[in-house]
Amino acid sequence: MNENLAYRIYKEPKLQASSLIVGWNEDAGNLGDRVVKYLNEKLGCEEFGEIEPVEFFPLGGVSVEDNVAHFPESKFYSCPKKNLVLLKSNAPHAEWHKFLNTILNVAEQYCHTTEVYTIGGMVALSAHTTPRELFAISNSPKMKKILGQYNLNNDMDYETPPEQRPTISSFLLWVARNRALIAASLWVPLPFYLLATEDPAACKRVVEFFDTRFNLGIDLSDLDISVKKQNEKIASIRFSFPEIDKYIRNLESNVALSQEESEKLVRDIEEYLNKIE
Amino acid sequence: MGIRLHKEPDLVKPIMIASWPGIGNIGIIAVDTLRTTMGAEEFGEIEPWDFFYPKRVLIEKGELKELEFPYSKFYFKKDLGKDLLFFVGEEQPSDGGRAYAEGRKAYQIANLVLDVAQKFGCRLIYTSGAAVAPIHHAMKPRVWAVPNAEHLISEVKSYPNTILMSDIEGREGQGNITGLNGLMLGVAKKRGIEAICVMGEIPIYLQGLPIPYPQASRVVLEVLSAALGMRIETEKLNGFIERSEKEIERLYDKFPPEIKEQLDKLKHVAYSKPTEPGPITEDDKKRILEDIDKLFRKETKED
Repeated sequence: MNENLAYRIYKEPKLQASSLIVGWNEDAGNLGDRVVKYLNEKLGCEEFGEIEPVEFFPLGGVSVEDNVAHFPESKFYSCPKKNLVLLKSNAPHAEWHKFLNTILNVAEQYCHTTEVYTIGGMVALSAHTTPRELFAISNSPKMKKILGQYNLNNDMDYETPPEQRPTISSFLLWVARNRALIAASLWVPLPFYLLATEDPAACKRVVEFFDTRFNLGIDLSDLDISVKKQNEKIASIRFSFPEIDKYIRNLESNVALSQEESEKLVRDIEEYLNKIE
Repeated sequence: MGIRLHKEPDLVKPIMIASWPGIGNIGIIAVDTLRTTMGAEEFGEIEPWDFFYPKRVLIEKGELKELEFPYSKFYFKKDLGKDLLFFVGEEQPSDGGRAYAEGRKAYQIANLVLDVAQKFGCRLIYTSGAAVAPIHHAMKPRVWAVPNAEHLISEVKSYPNTILMSDIEGREGQGNITGLNGLMLGVAKKRGIEAICVMGEIPIYLQGLPIPYPQASRVVLEVLSAALGMRIETEKLNGFIERSEKEIERLYDKFPPEIKEQLDKLKHVAYSKPTEPGPITEDDKKRILEDIDKLFRKETKED
């Protein structure tokens, strides 16, 4: 390891004009985390480096979740046969600009990356039976034109509401633009009551896009099965618990739930989905 | 990481007045009011991206158009008899969630501000913040002043409605000024630049509330007015102060009666020296301050 660098490279990948896909851990519904893990497995990617946590994360101890100690990670994986680089990372807590430049330094210097994608989940007040839409935000007209060829919504308007801050993905898009690197953030609205469990339909929506964009030839039948299984589980919960069915029917009819109803739906779906599993 | 100057004004030994947000935004409101009243002209900024997380993104038709960061800007005003430099930071840089700047980032940004001050031959710097004090909001706040050199004490003593740390009972001249409004004094001292921090008092029970306290900004402005030998209009703050007073009264009315009863006693407490004979005894005063302290379980502090 070069002590002056914020990263470590174990093995230089052999890539040309690669594409980088970034999945942030702990985003809404863990979508980025799940998609990167899925692609990693399906494509047989190999870990080749990581960003050191010292400057970017508080290291006064470790966090414990579900009885297990966690530690921030920022790991790079490569898939030479598909010319892809994956990064699975926690969002930094400090030195954001340096961290994002470090990602792009590794991508450009070692992988000759020419385009960047990030993945994120958005909380939606919709039912799980609503088809998952894929939204894209580009950092340049060139990227917008590329994405225009695909089945996604790349026409959204958005401004950060008061008291909120932009996402780390927006910050990465801006840093990439300053380096003349085209980039896009991909977003899927997730039904709010699936955030604590998982949403295989959202995962499938993102993977489908990458599969088409990069000709990955991934067999998505396992995701189809996961989607079907989850829908069946929720259908059986709806059948057994009329109150839950009523809430979901309301969402399907675009009738908003009260805060109390929403909280109950989240609690019950999480509890029963876990029980069925 | 650096400074961008759009213009190089020709200034003669300017005085710099700098502020960042803090408790009650006392300093920043005072400095910003002074800056706008004088019609100071913006001439530069500190590049923000190494210090701050962005505050706003604008996306139009699916394309990222703007990413906006908290600003850290320099302004100047000439031809007032004294040339003035202003620095206004919209946020204090933070290394991972702390309320006030400390450590490397704070030191770096303080040095960048001082680089500009020195480049223009600045001879004196004022910073401004809040002094959390056992006072009642119905009382006129005073200003605590801390210079970074002993020979400035006589200067500070000449300011109206101003006290030194040694005037505060039990402190014996000791204290802390947290955040950049304080750190600047130290970094300026290290670089041989004179600096004074003027802090408007805020009642102890308002320190944790996310509301501004322009009443204290007004007294800070009065002190700066005397210090600079310039007449500064504070009327601009009147409407703001009126709204703030109403908001505080509304909040105060919601306090439980037993707490209000304790806090009302602060109207009769003089915690600094010299004290005038008042309606309560020294023992009463000690007890009231101890009760208030217990009530909030926080030490009096400055920012």
